[in-house]
Amino acid sequence: MLSVERVCVRRGNSATLQDVSLSLAPGRTLAVVGESGAGKSTLIGAVLGLVPCTSGAVSWNGAPVRHCRPALVMQEPRSAFNPALSLHCSVMEPLTATGTRADPDRLAALCQGLEITPDLLARRPGQVSVGQAQRVGILRALIAAPPLVLFDEPLSALDAVTQKHTARLIAALQREAGFAALIVTHDLGYAAAFADDIAVLRAGRIEELTPARAFVEAPQTDYGRRLRDAAFALGALERVA
Amino acid sequence: MRSVGCLALILMALALLGPVLAPHDPTQINIPQRLSPPGPDWWLGTDAMGRDILSRLLHGARWSLGLAFLISVAGLLIGTLAGLVAALGGKLADWVVMRTTDTFLAFPELVAAVVIAGLLGAGTGSLIFALTVTGWMRYARVARAIGLSLGTRGYVVQGRLAGLSPLAIARWHYLPSLMPSLAVVWTGMFARAILGISALGFLGFGVQPPLPEWGTMLLDARIHMRSTPLQMIWPGLAVVVCVLAINLAGDALRDALGGEDVHR
Amino acid sequence: MRTVAGLVLRAVVVLTGTALATFSLLWHAPGDPALAIAEARYAAIPPAEVVELIRAEAGLDAGFWPAFLGWITPLLQGDFGQSMVTGRDIWPELLTAFSYTVPLALAGLMIGLGLSLPLAYAATRRPGGWRDRSAVALASIGAAIPAYWLGLLLILLFAVQLGWLPAMGARSPAHVILPALTLGLGVAAALTRILRSGILEARNQPFLPAIQRRGVASRDIARDHIAPHAAIPVVTVFGLELAFLLEGAVMVEVIFARPGLGSFLVSAIETRDFPKVQAVVMLTAVLFVTVNLVTDLIYRRLDPRIADRHA
Repeated sequence: MLSVERVCVRRGNSATLQDVSLSLAPGRTLAVVGESGAGKSTLIGAVLGLVPCTSGAVSWNGAPVRHCRPALVMQEPRSAFNPALSLHCSVMEPLTATGTRADPDRLAALCQGLEITPDLLARRPGQVSVGQAQRVGILRALIAAPPLVLFDEPLSALDAVTQKHTARLIAALQREAGFAALIVTHDLGYAAAFADDIAVLRAGRIEELTPARAFVEAPQTDYGRRLRDAAFALGALERVA
Repeated sequence: MRSVGCLALILMALALLGPVLAPHDPTQINIPQRLSPPGPDWWLGTDAMGRDILSRLLHGARWSLGLAFLISVAGLLIGTLAGLVAALGGKLADWVVMRTTDTFLAFPELVAAVVIAGLLGAGTGSLIFALTVTGWMRYARVARAIGLSLGTRGYVVQGRLAGLSPLAIARWHYLPSLMPSLAVVWTGMFARAILGISALGFLGFGVQPPLPEWGTMLLDARIHMRSTPLQMIWPGLAVVVCVLAINLAGDALRDALGGEDVHR
Repeated sequence: MRTVAGLVLRAVVVLTGTALATFSLLWHAPGDPALAIAEARYAAIPPAEVVELIRAEAGLDAGFWPAFLGWITPLLQGDFGQSMVTGRDIWPELLTAFSYTVPLALAGLMIGLGLSLPLAYAATRRPGGWRDRSAVALASIGAAIPAYWLGLLLILLFAVQLGWLPAMGARSPAHVILPALTLGLGVAAALTRILRSGILEARNQPFLPAIQRRGVASRDIARDHIAPHAAIPVVTVFGLELAFLLEGAVMVEVIFARPGLGSFLVSAIETRDFPKVQAVVMLTAVLFVTVNLVTDLIYRRLDPRIADRHA
């Protein structure tokens, strides 16, 4: 169980996160939506311990989050891989770091689920498409079976067709593995379709935290309503309904 | 670019094969033949003790180029290590390493090397020490600067999340990205080491006679400048050709890698 | 202002480090300094009592930290102490040496600028043309020629073969010509490269064509847009060239048997006259660190981005 309690992050004189509280149970998906600059990436950093919290606490089952070895899927899939190493090397990193050996069956099952062929893993990041790289990024995130996986705009670098496909793959894998997923995105359509709950982040504060279906039907705040209506106008929400 | 590479290769081959190619014993004293002009027996003439200058030059390549290689590689290892510690070791480590680097840079490198080698006493050991101690700072600065810029790269963050040790991160994620720039710095430092070795030899603080080192040879030749000026030309020319070839190779390497001008 | 104070503090830390490094080098250098002094003074192997007397007199028996403090305290008050060998005050000797090195370095710098400015300008008229390529080739060759060899060649040509110029010593103003030329040619080689790339970079700024098309006079463009940009590498160069001049001066003074800081240093090392070595080292370090500090500050004025980057 991930719990974020009254977390504040300050950089210089400006607060990038203020009084943020969340909780996330295993098997559940929480989507944090908001416009750019709202503090979404800082939230990910704070949860992973990459950004120090000025006050407040982040924990997983009462222990520091780092102890559960959380995984992160990044926005720019290709820069998430060392260009000098083969994808296989990078994928195995979470295992080699702890000295565990890869279970070939599990690797094969994950690869099949993510539609990754073995020869794809032998290539370097520069030799694959962005969509392929993102699927390998998800493979790396899941290889060590982490209880918590964070997704930082996992779809925004992909084209529309690949986006839909990748989103479905993530959801399917989550149903199987049962990890808790924290998805940060500006795509309300994606959040509404795949998340259990939606948190609206605005200028470092959580404006509202509602179940996804309830949010689509009736946002509780003006800002949430504006976000939803904008998504409707763009046609992003229609595919849910 | 190719011709530069060939020239550098030829020089390396000369340094390795010098002793095999040399027609005479470089330390064989032959007083009756002293200061002879170039001729069929002595292609470049003989020095004040009748030793064959060509043979001394060829043997000397091993000292000048070999020691310069050793010194520049030692500097590379020390400097890279220092730079990585500064980039990965947190704020305090960074401050300590960078102020140490500044301290070593608070003095022209060659002058510092002269002071160190001179005070430690003439000899090859103190020469190596002096030039290594004064020759690691550029590597450290470059390694740190690139290292700091790598700290926020996606794959470095992933490595940290995966729980890799700082050592493993340095080895797998930092070194490959550092290599090209460090290689360019290395060519510059290799050339500087050649100049430094011969300068210290010329001042009498470096490799000691009768070992044939180019700077020491120049020091010997200087006394006989009036009678046999040619004797003075050869060792200097050897230094110039080597330094030029290595610098040009470094320029070519830098252009090939598309990096910035980091040396000099 | 905070960064200025930070830079000054950094300079102080660096100088303290230099003082410590120099002193510990002298302290740990092989051989007994007291014995070395005694030998230098009396030109014979002295009896043990004399050596011990000298050791106590020079404060060498007190241990590292007391000896270090005993040296640094008067130094901070501007007292460089006395030579161990001659017993005379070091400061006047150092000033004399300085008065020989400064004209040499200035003349070298002038020659370097006088050669490299036209060369770099001619090279950048048409980048990649024959002038450019020959200037780059000349600079590359010049950078590979060690000062001591160049000095010997100049002596060979102008003093030995042609007999036009005096070579050894510093008796007349003409004596400065060959040493200054030796230094200046080396400076010119380094400067040409840096000036050339500086001018090229300044000319290639992306906004210049737009200004040109608006009809601004080319002289105004050169003054307002190219010169300030090209000034940045020039400032860097002065920091670098000081190092080059000092290194060069050491070698050149030895070759030309010329008095000055370089020969002062080399003779102090050879006689193991520790206070003298310390004095030259500290003076050079202060000079060097100050110049670097000043170039750093000018740099920040010329290019505010640098200040931001380092903040």
